[in-house]
Amino acid sequence: MDIRETYLPGIGKKFQIKSRGGDVLIVVVHDDGRRECYMEADRDNDFKPVFSLDDDEARMLASIVGGMQYKPRALENIEMVLDDLIIEWYRVEPTYKSVGSSIGQLGVRNRSGASVLAVVEKGGATKHINPGPDLVLTEEALLIVAGERSQQKAFRDILKNGCE
Amino acid sequence: MDHLVMEIGLAIGLVALAGILSAKLKFSVIPFYIIVGMLVGPHAFKIGHFDFRFVESAELIHFFGRIGVLFLLLYLGLEFSVGRLIKSGKSIVVGGSIYIGINFTLGLLYGFLTGLPLSEVLIIAGITTISSSAIVAKVLVDLKRTANQETEMILGIIMFEDVFLALYISIVSGLVLSSSSSLGGVLLSALIALVFMLGVLIVGRKLVPQLNRWLDIRSNELFLLIVFGSLFLIAGFAETIHVAEAIGALLVGLVLAETQHAHRIEKLILPFRDFFGAMFFFSFGLTIDPTALGGAVWMALGAVAITLVGNFAAGMLAGRSAGIPPYASAKIGLTIVARGEFSIIMANLAMAGGLAAIIQPFAALYVLILAILGPLLTKESKWVFRVLDPIFKFNARYDRRQQQAPETSS
Repeated sequence: MDIRETYLPGIGKKFQIKSRGGDVLIVVVHDDGRRECYMEADRDNDFKPVFSLDDDEARMLASIVGGMQYKPRALENIEMVLDDLIIEWYRVEPTYKSVGSSIGQLGVRNRSGASVLAVVEKGGATKHINPGPDLVLTEEALLIVAGERSQQKAFRDILKNGCE
Repeated sequence: MDHLVMEIGLAIGLVALAGILSAKLKFSVIPFYIIVGMLVGPHAFKIGHFDFRFVESAELIHFFGRIGVLFLLLYLGLEFSVGRLIKSGKSIVVGGSIYIGINFTLGLLYGFLTGLPLSEVLIIAGITTISSSAIVAKVLVDLKRTANQETEMILGIIMFEDVFLALYISIVSGLVLSSSSSLGGVLLSALIALVFMLGVLIVGRKLVPQLNRWLDIRSNELFLLIVFGSLFLIAGFAETIHVAEAIGALLVGLVLAETQHAHRIEKLILPFRDFFGAMFFFSFGLTIDPTALGGAVWMALGAVAITLVGNFAAGMLAGRSAGIPPYASAKIGLTIVARGEFSIIMANLAMAGGLAAIIQPFAALYVLILAILGPLLTKESKWVFRVLDPIFKFNARYDRRQQQAPETSS
């Protein structure tokens, strides 16, 4: 992926993004907070405007594109592989049996070997970085968990099935 | 009876009305402000308490206009950064030099052709060389062209013009505003101006760490008062030594741009720039008697023709040097023909220096025509290019060049 930044005096900043697939996308961040997205057209045409968003809308879109909103359902989608270590995001669905149990009660470390790096409670209001064993999992909380692939798998089972 | 507040209210109301009208017609607002100012004024009439002659308030409105210039230049200084100009790259520097070279030369030649004295010639060259960054930026955003490749070149040329403008105003203001008529006197005042400017810039640069500390004020009120205080003091002091007050404001902007507070100042200044900027165009219109425009029609039309040709040629050459295809290059020239605030600042400089009266109606007509024509040409650039291409064979020649050097194209 190739990103080129250009300063547009009096307007803002332009990011030209060329994806591995060959698509050229241009995002213009206006000084007044607006974002405009353009796609490449042929030589004699202007770049084609695709959408225009206000600042808050753009942040929302970024979180959707970035996978913060939906990703946990497709559990293996977002992962950063550092050799064997994988960091994954999980969302605690209301149907999960682990809701209401603390990390210590679930025995996360002993049973799976994975480690909970952070917990963001529903709505993002409360964040626990490096939570202790007393932290109780709530519905729709986001968990960021580090571990090897097999440990992640074990952790997912614990999350779904609780203390069984 | 004192109807000052009423008159000012009327003036602002008219300006607002012009703004609404321009928004409805989707047109650049600057010509509307000027026209509405031209329509009223001493030659107009009075209906009851509505005095459209603006007798009592004329002085105050002109003062608003002067403040408008200070804010416009302060903002220009705040936005400008030498680092950005250097980083902008070779193609921008080449393109900007081509543009200034062609158009400033043409402006000087045209000025001499009118047979006016040297000071007037320099003012005319200034009026015709410098594009309106306000109109250009607005048109590009409105037409959704900010992502195009030629836009980088357009804005680069505009930035280059800003540098030229700063240097040029300071030289010309030394010449025009200097009270002495002998060559020695003029040189002396130019020297004083130069020392003053370098002094502010160097001392300002040295003081940046202190300024960072002094301006670290939580209260917006106090912060604004200090910024305004230094703006008016330095701009006012510049005037006393025959340096245009606009340059004083620009210097303040350049110094403040180096501090950590540049962003906060920009944000707080913006509404003032917008309000007083609008009053600036209105007050300029107010000084123009529409019945006096007749004498300057041919002079203005000639200048418009030269500007169109010069800018288009400069755009094609600048685009060619940067490897931009012909149609996109044509858009460069067609976009930067817009004229506005800076041309009027040059004309006001002529008025302050007591130069030939023809400059005012000339500048008014010239700016009105190009402030309207510029955005239109930008919008209809495709059509203009379709008419011109068969005559000049831009595309055919571009394709030939591409074939000769297939490796260099992207």
